[in-house]
Amino acid sequence: METLREILDPDFLLRNSVCTSLLVGLAAPLVGIYLFLRRLVFMGVALPQISSCGIAFAFALQGWGLLPHAHDTAEEHALALLGSTVFTLAAIMVFAAFERRGRSTPEARIGAFYVLAGATSILLLVKNPFGEHGMLDMLKGEIIAVSDGELIFTAIILVFVTAPLIIFRKHFLMVSYDREMALTLKKPVLIWDGFLFALIGLTISTAVLSVGPLVTFGFLLLPPLIAHQFARTMRQFALVSSLIGGITAFIGFALAYRWDLPVGATDVVLLGLLLAAGWALKKLF
Amino acid sequence: MHADLLLQLDNVTAGYPRQVVLQSVTLSVQRNTFTALLGPNGSGKTTLLKTLVGIIPPLQGKLIWNGQVRVGYVPQRDVLDSIFLLSGLEVVQMVTQSEKQWALQCLQSTGTADLARKQFSQLSGGQKQRVLIARALATRPDFLVLDEPTAGIDPTAAAAIMELLARIHATGLAILMVSHDVALMRRNAQRVVWLHHGKVTEGPAAEMLSRERVLEIFELDLG
Repeated sequence: METLREILDPDFLLRNSVCTSLLVGLAAPLVGIYLFLRRLVFMGVALPQISSCGIAFAFALQGWGLLPHAHDTAEEHALALLGSTVFTLAAIMVFAAFERRGRSTPEARIGAFYVLAGATSILLLVKNPFGEHGMLDMLKGEIIAVSDGELIFTAIILVFVTAPLIIFRKHFLMVSYDREMALTLKKPVLIWDGFLFALIGLTISTAVLSVGPLVTFGFLLLPPLIAHQFARTMRQFALVSSLIGGITAFIGFALAYRWDLPVGATDVVLLGLLLAAGWALKKLF
Repeated sequence: MHADLLLQLDNVTAGYPRQVVLQSVTLSVQRNTFTALLGPNGSGKTTLLKTLVGIIPPLQGKLIWNGQVRVGYVPQRDVLDSIFLLSGLEVVQMVTQSEKQWALQCLQSTGTADLARKQFSQLSGGQKQRVLIARALATRPDFLVLDEPTAGIDPTAAAAIMELLARIHATGLAILMVSHDVALMRRNAQRVVWLHHGKVTEGPAAEMLSRERVLEIFELDLG
C-alpha cells in the first residue's frame, strides 16, 4: 500500500516512467491483436528486435561521424525514433510482401531476421561509444529517466496510432479476417493493409524506444493471448487485451519499484503468470 | 453484348504468377440462370471462380461484364478462421457496416436469424454455410457465386442449402456454383460448365450431365 501511495503521488520522481509504461501497456495490445489474428505472432517477436537494431544503427551512424552528434536528449530521442521507425517499416514491408503472396511467412525466415537483428545490434553497440549510453538499459527494459518531452511525444504518437485503430477497426478486421471477400467487394485492400502495417510499425518503434524490445513483444502478444481465452466478441477482445496490458504495466512497475527489479522483465513475468492463471481457470471452468 | 448475358470471358488465362491453371477460356454466364461449374479435383474450378469474382486477376484475356454487376461471393466455409470472435450477425455486418436491420433480414431469409448471437466458429457446417449465404445476400448482389457450399455436410443440410439457393434463384438472381456433386447439380442446374484437362465445355445441364459425359470426364469405366 505504501508503494502504491508513493507511485500515485503527483510528485513521484518516476512519474513519467509509470505513465510511459502505462501508455505502452494500453496501446501495444491493440496492435498485437492484429498480429495474433493474422497469425503473424512471430513477426511480433522479430519487429521489436529489428526496431532496436534501427536505434543501434542510428547511433552507429552518429558514432561514425555520418550523422551530426545529438546535443541533447530530445535530439537523441528523435534520432533513435527515426532509426527505429525506418528499420521497422522496412521490415514490415518485406514481411507484408511475403504474406500477400499467400505464403504465411515461414518462421525460419522471420527467425533469421530476429537473430540477425539481435546480433547486429550488439555489434553496433560494442564499437560505438555514443550508442551504448542509455541503449543497454533500454534493451533490458529499464524505464528510468523519461523526460516530460519524451512522455508527451510518446503519448502523442500512441494516441495517433490508437485512434485510427478504433475508428477504422471494421475495415482492418475485414481485410484481416476475410481478404478475399474484401477483394470481391472492391475494397482497397492494399491501402488498408498498408495503413494497418504502418500503425503496427509506428507503435512498435515507439514502444521499443520507451520500454525495449522484450517488453514490447510481451505487451504485443501476451495480453491478447490472455484475453482470447475469455472474450466472446471482437470488441471485448480488444478492450480486455488493452486493460490487461495497462493494469499489468502499472502493477509490474509497482512490484519492480518495491523489490528493486527491472521493470520490463517484471511486467513480462507478471503477464506470463496471468496467462498461466487464465489457462488454469479455463481448464477448471 | 447480348442483353441475356451477364458476363463473358474472352480468351482468359487464369492462374497465378508462376502457374497457369487454365488457358484460353471462353465462356458466358447468362442472366437468371443456375450454372454449375464442375470438374475433377485440380481442374481449376476454384481458380476460375476466384478469377470471376476478382480475387485473382486474369493473366491474359478479358472479363466483360454487362453493365454494373454486383457479385455476392460465398467462399468455402473454412476460409473464416475460428480465431476471430465473431457472431453470426457480425459476420454478415462485416459487409453491411452499419445496416444492422438489413443484416438481420438477410439472416432471416436464410433461416439463420436465431444464430445472430451465436459464435460463428461454433456453428455446424450447414449453419455456417447459410450464414455465409446471408452475408453474400447482404451485398445486394445481381450474381451469386458459391464455392462448394455443400461439401463436407450431411445430405439433409445439403438439401436445405440447395432448397435455399433454389428460392434465391427464383427471385431472379443468377447463380454460379462450384460443386463435385453431379447428382445434386442434375436436379438444380440449368447450365453446366465442365473443366477437364485444361479444356472448358459448356451447355445445357441435360446434355452436359448425361451418363456418358460424366463417365468420360471422370475417366470411369463401368465395364
